[in-house]
Amino acid sequence: MNEQIRFNLNGKDMEIQADPSMRLIDLLRDELRLTGTKEGCGEGECGACTVIIDGITANSCLVLISQIRDKKVTTIEALEQEALKKGDELHPIQQAFIDAGAVQCGFCTPGMVLSAKALLDHNSSPDENEIKRSISGNLCRCTGYKKIEKAIQIASDYMKKDGVE
Amino acid sequence: MKPSITIGKSELRIDAKDKVTGKAVYPSDIYLDNMVYGYTIRSTMPHAEIKVDKIEALAYPGVIAVFTAEDVTGENHHGVLFKDHEVFCSKKVRRVGEPIAFVVADTMDTARKAAKLVKVAYNELPAVLDPREAMKENSPKVHGDSNIIYHYKLRTGDIEEAFQKCEVVVENTYESSMVDHAFLQPEAGVAYIEEDGTVTIVTATQYPHYDREEVAEALGLPHNKIKILTSAVGGAFGGREDITVQIHLALAALKLGRPVKTTYTREESFQAHSKRHPLYMKYKTGALKDGTLYAMEAEIIGDSGAHASWAINVLRKAGVHAAGPYCIPNIKIDSYAVYTNNPFTGAMRGFGAAQVPMAHEQQIDEIARRLNINPIEIRLKNCFKVGSLTATGQTLEESVPLTDTIIKAAKEIGYEFSYDSNEEVQP
Amino acid sequence: MKKRGKGIGSIFYGTGYGNGFPDVSNACAELKADGKIYVYAGATEVGQGAKTALSQIAAEAAGVKLDKVVLVHEDTSKTPDSGTAAASRQTYNTGNGIRIACEQLKQEILSIAKEALGTNTTMGIKINNDMLEVKGLPDKKISLQELYIEAEKMGKTLRVDKAFVAHTMKMDDETGQGAPYWPYTFATYCVEVEVDTDTGKVDVLKAVCAQDVGRAVNPMLVEGQMEGGFAMGMSWALYEDLGLSNGKIKNDNFSKYIIPTSLDMPEIKNIIVEDPESTAPFGAKGIGEPVMIPAMPAILNAIYDAVGIRITKLPASQQEIVRLIQEKENQQ
Repeated sequence: MNEQIRFNLNGKDMEIQADPSMRLIDLLRDELRLTGTKEGCGEGECGACTVIIDGITANSCLVLISQIRDKKVTTIEALEQEALKKGDELHPIQQAFIDAGAVQCGFCTPGMVLSAKALLDHNSSPDENEIKRSISGNLCRCTGYKKIEKAIQIASDYMKKDGVE
Repeated sequence: MKPSITIGKSELRIDAKDKVTGKAVYPSDIYLDNMVYGYTIRSTMPHAEIKVDKIEALAYPGVIAVFTAEDVTGENHHGVLFKDHEVFCSKKVRRVGEPIAFVVADTMDTARKAAKLVKVAYNELPAVLDPREAMKENSPKVHGDSNIIYHYKLRTGDIEEAFQKCEVVVENTYESSMVDHAFLQPEAGVAYIEEDGTVTIVTATQYPHYDREEVAEALGLPHNKIKILTSAVGGAFGGREDITVQIHLALAALKLGRPVKTTYTREESFQAHSKRHPLYMKYKTGALKDGTLYAMEAEIIGDSGAHASWAINVLRKAGVHAAGPYCIPNIKIDSYAVYTNNPFTGAMRGFGAAQVPMAHEQQIDEIARRLNINPIEIRLKNCFKVGSLTATGQTLEESVPLTDTIIKAAKEIGYEFSYDSNEEVQP
Repeated sequence: MKKRGKGIGSIFYGTGYGNGFPDVSNACAELKADGKIYVYAGATEVGQGAKTALSQIAAEAAGVKLDKVVLVHEDTSKTPDSGTAAASRQTYNTGNGIRIACEQLKQEILSIAKEALGTNTTMGIKINNDMLEVKGLPDKKISLQELYIEAEKMGKTLRVDKAFVAHTMKMDDETGQGAPYWPYTFATYCVEVEVDTDTGKVDVLKAVCAQDVGRAVNPMLVEGQMEGGFAMGMSWALYEDLGLSNGKIKNDNFSKYIIPTSLDMPEIKNIIVEDPESTAPFGAKGIGEPVMIPAMPAILNAIYDAVGIRITKLPASQQEIVRLIQEKENQQ
């Protein structure tokens, strides 16, 4: 019943033998121990398990690993690697979340950061509405979302400056 | 004033870096060698006698143990005020969702599947689901002889005489709802035995030292043999005050000598922790012609569900805050905490004081409307200031900037009202 | 038809367990070999920002910069009992415990420095980040790391254990009179809503939150609490429903138990009102709970202002609002 599945995870080509009906979140957390991806509801409502697949956000609790064949999967762990390559400690979105006070309990944070990344990778200057929409699939019970929206605005500035340099 | 080093500065959160990188460790992020997984079987009836048969489940491949009331090594109970939760229900269930057994297996999936093989035979008993019914003498009883856990009485002045002097008296009944904390991180934890025999529980909790006492008592061990490690906590809001995973995990780890983990689903999380007390609030508020609040009477009934948890403190806090932040010379308040067979209620952000404003703030608006007084001005007229007496007769000696909050918020939203600008505290 | 209205909610909130229940926060402060001040307190960081705010209180009291403080709070075998992370009590109660411990530790550090630097009084020494300098002779100094070694030579451990006990008294059993809580925190929120009279949908358009904090230890953390508190209060007023039936919760996941998303939130204007409380650590009162409370009543009053119906049962769901509007029209 196990099958060979090839995909790209955080920039690295992977080839695994696994049950194709396994949920992506279980592969990430239980098998690969990438625990930055959180499970908050198991039914795609809360967005804590958000990952990026080929540039688009997905709830990894609803994705089966058969669906990631030959695709690029990005988890929160990729952002630090990306930053390190540039000689930074953190990705500008992560830094913006800290600077804007967008983090409280932190459980929704990795998913929020990835939703922000998916937005900013496509749209470097989103307006307020586009920012709100980009995180509307990510629930947060602590912040009331205001500082998260602010963080994404700040991140857009940071990333533009980064691009110029 | 001496300039401060750090107070008053928006310092960046110390825990933020771990959280934005996904490195912060919540209890479900812990994986240990030789670890096994537990799943909790819960009651499906609000009130019933039970018999549990675990033989079939024990025979299921991958199942290591099924723990029930008979396996508890210490006292089969816990609870913050009264020990009215059982670690596992022994004879009766008193609410839907009460833990009956803990199935431990080599994977979480196996534990869940085997849980279906644990046979729970229910002999349904009449349930009481409305606290107003539960207060009656002939109602089914949840624990002991009476469902009334607590009655707080507040008396000041003479309300009979005072209501007669009032120009307007407003009467209404309000029902606040039972709600969930809905923190984003479902309950989870890991327990293991250290080399010196210490039982260590890693979990997300609001009060680790109290958890330690509760685990020690249920396991029958001295509290210095129990250690609670607080992981990152994915929100709490009062919902992590009462025990959920802690004792089950500790007991299983103690019995099996292996690390044991559990992670609740969202659905199980809803069943496992407390809720906000719904309050039934009957209010009568009277004011003089000039808008002076003069008398109020309230009867407040809180549904504690099947366990007391913090019911006494919550209904006390509701009673103390029931008159709102206003000087009212004549007050009679009765608040009650009552057992029912509903999901249990406990601490939740605001803790009794959050529910009563539904009543006192609508009452004061209604009085203002009937007297044709501006809603901001009636608040400014009656609200607490330095030197005011609360309903319990306590003088507010300092730091009472309520007037300031009213003026600033009302101006900003665009209310028109008149006020004495001397009352505004300048920053 | 869409109708707009404004509403206000004012509240007070008594901090702590109350009614004479022993409300104690223990804290311990210690200078270690790395020249940092380790603070031990069993206070949980639940997301509210306790780790940061309590560290700020420690740094201020000890007279050092924030990065010289390490707060240890995660292990019951290492930390004293600081009570629960609830009742809006950690900033005030544990904050006070930590403040007292760190102030005492600072005095003990200064007396060691007095010996080491040869001054005749501790008044002659000032702390400049991680250096202790003789006033007027800034070149004559000793670092906290060196001071730790000096203390060791003198056979002294720089460790202070303290407890803060909050003022609370049991009320009279018959009259409920007494001083159950201290301190009290105050707040007023105002909102503007738009009610769709056909669908019953309520949109909160704007919120103004004015919150008494005594003194803000960290304004950004306070604002985060206020915005999150508003969201929770709004959610309670308008959306949340467990669907309880025969003791069973039917709405037990986020597809049925609705909490707000970013799209539901109004513009929020925060107003932090400062009026320091003399018994509080640097004047700061707890705000974790009060920040949520005025949202619900303000919204209910705004609904009345918009469409003239009194919400006497929560939540003010779309069906309930349509029902009440119809009921009102039938009466007229």
